[in-house]
Amino acid sequence: MRVRLMLIFLGLALLAALPLVVTSYYLYLAELAMVNVIIAVGLNLLSGNCGQISLCNASFMGIGAYCTALCTIRLGLPTLIALPAGVFISALLGAALGYPARRLSGLYLALITLGFLELVGIVIEELPDYTGGIRGLKVPRPDIFGFSLQSNGLLYLFVFVLTVGAIVIGYNVQRSRFGRAFDAVRQSPFAAQALGIPVARVKMIAFSLNAAFAGFAGGLLASVVGFIDPPEFGILTSIQHITFIVVGGLGSIPGSIAGAVLLTALPEVLRGVQEYGEVVYGIILLGTLLFLPRGLIGLVARLQTLRSAKPSAKEPAYGAP
Amino acid sequence: MTWRIILQLALSGLSIGSIYALVGLALVLPFKASGIVNFAQGEIVTFGAYLALILSGLGLPYLAVVPLVLVGAAAFGMLTERILIRPIVNQPEFTLVIVTFAIGFIIKAVIRLHWQDNTFSIDAPFVGPPLVLGALRLNPAYLVFIVSTLVVVATLFIFFGYSKFGKAMRATALDPIAAKLMGIRVGSVFSAAWALSTMLGASVGLLLAPVIGINPEIGHLILKGLVAAVIGGFSSLGGAVVGGLLLGLLETYAGAFFGATFKNLVPFGVLILLLLLRPQGLIGVSSARRV
Amino acid sequence: MALLEIDGLSVRFGGVAAVADVSLAIAAGEIHGIIGPNGAGKTSVINAITGMTVPQSGSIRFADREIAGVAPHIISSFGLGRTFQHVELFGDRSVFDNILTGFYRHQSYGLLAGALRLPKALKSERTTREQARMLIEAFDLAAFADSPAGLLPFGIQKRVDIARALAAEPRLLLLDEPVSGMSEAEAEAAVATMRKLAREHGITLVVIEHNMRVLMNLAERVTVLYQGRLLASGAPAEMQANAAVIEAYLGDAA
Repeated sequence: MRVRLMLIFLGLALLAALPLVVTSYYLYLAELAMVNVIIAVGLNLLSGNCGQISLCNASFMGIGAYCTALCTIRLGLPTLIALPAGVFISALLGAALGYPARRLSGLYLALITLGFLELVGIVIEELPDYTGGIRGLKVPRPDIFGFSLQSNGLLYLFVFVLTVGAIVIGYNVQRSRFGRAFDAVRQSPFAAQALGIPVARVKMIAFSLNAAFAGFAGGLLASVVGFIDPPEFGILTSIQHITFIVVGGLGSIPGSIAGAVLLTALPEVLRGVQEYGEVVYGIILLGTLLFLPRGLIGLVARLQTLRSAKPSAKEPAYGAP
Repeated sequence: MTWRIILQLALSGLSIGSIYALVGLALVLPFKASGIVNFAQGEIVTFGAYLALILSGLGLPYLAVVPLVLVGAAAFGMLTERILIRPIVNQPEFTLVIVTFAIGFIIKAVIRLHWQDNTFSIDAPFVGPPLVLGALRLNPAYLVFIVSTLVVVATLFIFFGYSKFGKAMRATALDPIAAKLMGIRVGSVFSAAWALSTMLGASVGLLLAPVIGINPEIGHLILKGLVAAVIGGFSSLGGAVVGGLLLGLLETYAGAFFGATFKNLVPFGVLILLLLLRPQGLIGVSSARRV
Repeated sequence: MALLEIDGLSVRFGGVAAVADVSLAIAAGEIHGIIGPNGAGKTSVINAITGMTVPQSGSIRFADREIAGVAPHIISSFGLGRTFQHVELFGDRSVFDNILTGFYRHQSYGLLAGALRLPKALKSERTTREQARMLIEAFDLAAFADSPAGLLPFGIQKRVDIARALAAEPRLLLLDEPVSGMSEAEAEAAVATMRKLAREHGITLVVIEHNMRVLMNLAERVTVLYQGRLLASGAPAEMQANAAVIEAYLGDAA
């Protein structure tokens, strides 16, 4: 256990030192990956642990992005206030969606999230005076205590620290009674009810939490990329988010991290065959669903099982003690 | 507000509603047969349109293209069901939804790979100047939409009501195990349901291609089909048809009286309202269990 | 005063009456059996008591509180627990986590406290984990504590189900066919456990069964349901000798 902790610290230290070794392009890529990690961790709590399907994750990312951007641009608020504001609004709207969605599941839940996605898209486009409409918004670099993060290295560190924080929070929630409640609601709502777990309220909490993570990531994305526009927050993006957690392994935080990082890096690896990017994405998603239902983490677990003689009692990281 | 305008709008609404009805039918069919909603249905419509484009490009006239596309789509549906859907039927709903999304995603990506985002068009016999019926001017294409839908509905009605295979499908939808025990080849029924639904989807592509042009975004239509299906409670074929027509009418009138923005909001407004207040649709039955 | 009092309960699905005008009273500390052939309405009665179905008419009072039509999780919070015929464990989590989840309603820290691992949350987790460990010891599940619950033999799963239900500290526990699918030996052990629960922990038990023999050794009183109606009620021996009860069971495996 000690060894593992030390390895993690070492890894984090190395990652933090990245700006010293790589060019700003790769820093940018790393920042995108980290934003996606935050998305994946949040979505995993909702869909992987709580089993609620959501096709509108990109919307919450967009809500967070636009809120943060507008707070910065129109209200002149510093980033350390604009970001939490974005998170807050996102979480609120997540709860607003979670409330009516609490009694729906499966198909109907997917549909209502789809409806929400389209609705948000329309709202963003139809209010160009506020959101810049389809022309988008330019977003300045984060402004910490009056100091603007123009340096790429500092921006990277900023995103890095926040990402690690988000992962820790995600992990804590998963290990808390709420994480257990999420899993209970997914696997057996009836048993959960019988144990006094308020299923509908738990679903709502899951939605709100997911929205908070997505909104947080959206706010960061706006600062990293410097520009946001509506197409970024449509159904394709939502599907990409789902790909992160499916490929990584539903329910597992390490899986979500791995999935997000790999699938952010993938388009870069496929640089030479740019146009094929989308097709490959789709095939990876489909392939994972058909052949690796438990994702990469499941694959790792199965390989571990094959190595030991007897059937494994350890299943993929569902908060093992 | 003259009667002429109201009637004109009604015709418009019914014709676009027919399209929605067809997409709705295509969605409800496999759902009734195998409990799966095919979120790739929008891309099936696109697929039908582009297949028509290819065949048209080979010099074939529209009327020859139609049966070829239908057969091609049916084959595609059967293949998809057999290879991609059958293996995962027992997985959680989450997986099923995403799988069909992924399939649609791939179809669209492949199409864009070859044709990019350009818009193409093909010729069809029903594209022409408006017909004049008394005080009304009717786009002949609209007429074809309505008539096609009527033909499809009538055919399905006869098929499910009176043909042996149709009855087999109904039995399977009600209780697959009992159906199996009675000697019904459930696997074939699933394949047939999917083939039927992809045919329906592709036929929408065929109808729309000459009228609105062919581009990868046609698939967006699935949302309208979903709303139509939800209005019918997602369990009733007749309901999906009624739902589609209703949606078409609502949209058209909303657009005429309140403008384009409002028109765009109609489907989602209806969807969300229904899902919140009456998830069983205007026609379905609500379940007794609560969680 | 009865702990659980059902009066004129009726549950209908569409046109079919699953339960018609059933009344019964269960005293605190009692071990009460509800028995009947399949289709007698036992599950519907349980679902109505636990709030999973809303009865059309009748009253259900628990500890002098009307619970008919109340939301399931609120009914549970009043101290009414249940186990399931088909177990319903959280299959891909360990036995330990399953039982830990049972303590949910006794933990009170909020989401923020959990997310930030505030002392309040840490303390609650420590205490609860200790309690879960004790429960696992008490039910002889230590060997399986880390195994995914869904992979265990059915008999063990049923034990986990009961342990988990107990974690919520119910005053009354409804056991839905607790020994179905068990071997003779397992069933005997389960019966002994249930008796111990009632005697040592003072938990009122309501055992739903279709097997009279099991209830003979366990229940103090038995209520017989048949086709949604109450057929007879009394000591197990009386029920076994009751002509109407015997006739109802003719053709049904005992």
